[in-house]
Amino acid sequence: MSTKNIYDAVLDYDEECVPELVQDEIDAGTVVQEILNEGLSAALDEVGARFSAGTLFVPEMLMAAEAVQAGLNIIRPLLVKSGARPVGTVVLGTVKGDLHDIGKNLVAMMLEGAGFKLIDLGTDVDPEQFISAVQENDADIVAMSGLLTTSMPEMQKAVAALQEANRTRNISVKVMIGGPPINQVFADKIGADGYGVDAPAAVEQARAFVSG
Amino acid sequence: MTWTHRERILAALNHEEADRVPIDFGGAEFTSITLAGYERLKTYLGVTTPTDPMSIIHSVAHPAEQILERFGVDTRNVQPGPYEGGPDHWVDDNHYIDIFEVHWRRTEKAVDQHFLHKDGPFYGGKLTVERVEDYHWPNGNNPGLATGIRERVAEIKALGDYAVCLYLPGGVIHRGYAMRGFEAYLKDLYKSPEALQRLMDKLCDFWCDTAKTTVEAAGPENIDIIYFGEDLGTQDGCMFDPETIYANYLKPRHRRMVQTVKDLTNHQAKVCFHCCGSAYRFIPHLIDVGVDALNPVQVTAKSMEPERLKADFGDKICFWGGINTQRTLPFGTPEEVAEETKRIIGVLGTGGGYILNSVHNIQAEVPPENIVAMFETGVQHRYH
Repeated sequence: MSTKNIYDAVLDYDEECVPELVQDEIDAGTVVQEILNEGLSAALDEVGARFSAGTLFVPEMLMAAEAVQAGLNIIRPLLVKSGARPVGTVVLGTVKGDLHDIGKNLVAMMLEGAGFKLIDLGTDVDPEQFISAVQENDADIVAMSGLLTTSMPEMQKAVAALQEANRTRNISVKVMIGGPPINQVFADKIGADGYGVDAPAAVEQARAFVSG
Repeated sequence: MTWTHRERILAALNHEEADRVPIDFGGAEFTSITLAGYERLKTYLGVTTPTDPMSIIHSVAHPAEQILERFGVDTRNVQPGPYEGGPDHWVDDNHYIDIFEVHWRRTEKAVDQHFLHKDGPFYGGKLTVERVEDYHWPNGNNPGLATGIRERVAEIKALGDYAVCLYLPGGVIHRGYAMRGFEAYLKDLYKSPEALQRLMDKLCDFWCDTAKTTVEAAGPENIDIIYFGEDLGTQDGCMFDPETIYANYLKPRHRRMVQTVKDLTNHQAKVCFHCCGSAYRFIPHLIDVGVDALNPVQVTAKSMEPERLKADFGDKICFWGGINTQRTLPFGTPEEVAEETKRIIGVLGTGGGYILNSVHNIQAEVPPENIVAMFETGVQHRYH
């Protein structure tokens, strides 16, 4: 037995096998953090790399994320009990006026698999809702999504509101954005701290925020 | 020679140059303009004709005849009439249930108030063959679908020699997402492939029957283009694997749909397939099933540079769209839009094989000056 079996089962999209293997590892005394990092998260990173490389696609990413989720369901209570802190806390949502959530949900799954705590506010989220959620959850990162070009001004307003809140409301949060019409140029223009071209890139950006 | 509108479109579809590049606006539900954008355009042009929505759900207008004439538009739209006796109804202003019992919702906070599907008859639980079979499927032979088609065709013929574009909504992917949920549908490719294929076949049956009902109502000889499609691409790549998932599950259904409409029109009508995002790796498959034109040619998506598309597939498929909706149209100046339009016509239109249109519907925030700049550049274009 090893966390390698878990890793392999995730890459086989085997949501039935993954929780069993996770339980086996726990019973064998493997440290829970190691199961998460070397089994579940590492496998999802590999899925993300293949997705970004264009050798694996949305259905496979969803299947792998579901298998990881089945494993997380078992280890999450143990992580809480052990006092282990999540890698970071991310508030995420699709900006005001936009109901598209496919991309946002993929980012959520990947972040969760990477050990982040997720506060998913859904779609059509006002700037004030982002700020309140950051305050209530002591979040490190806000991740915003939008599909329409008409959402871009809303994203700009929300980034400005969060920066204002960083100055005046005793929070310290990094903001990253993503979505089909978004690029690094736009992120720089509106003063976002980061941008992810796809879900794996969003995970990389989030990791950089919490490690830096 | 003097070219009629229809001749111009057919020349492009046959990879020949006419007098100028042919122009589409509002030929189908994804080549038009959003309702909010349309109101601004009307005000700018001084047009007072009441707005006729092509789709409230997708927030799309039927551009008024006066505007189509002004922009030199060569296509005219026909589409199925309202289904009779179905379960479709409005729950309230922001919540609509369609004939497939899909729940569509919108947000009042949006500039562009289109609806998205948020619930459907196969949401939740495992998808089984029994669930699919036991569902009370709508019928593509429903007489309501033929309503108004004969009259609309006669109206177009009376206006002039335009290319008649029959838009047939739906397909086997998007309507499947709507009924089952996006993520569940894609996971069913692995978890319940048999039931999912049964679902695809039911949707394919409905679409093909709708095609028969509407083409017969129009008169097969009166249809120049059948327009349909669904998204296979994303901004950065493919939604699913082109060589396995698409080739094995979806392509056979698309082949059946294309063959059905070609047979119905005695192989006279051309087929335009709509696919947003990076369509590049699917184009050989689309050519293989008999698609004649690709819309909307999302030039900002991965591998969708117009030069690459023209070089790799320009002799086999016609490109329809291509004027940048993610950058130039909303954020550029009229001069930049005119330059971009000239560039795209030059790249995609050389030797024919290109129909001018924005990438997808013109969005709410696009300045009317930019819309005018795009179409006027097309009208003023000359091949020789």
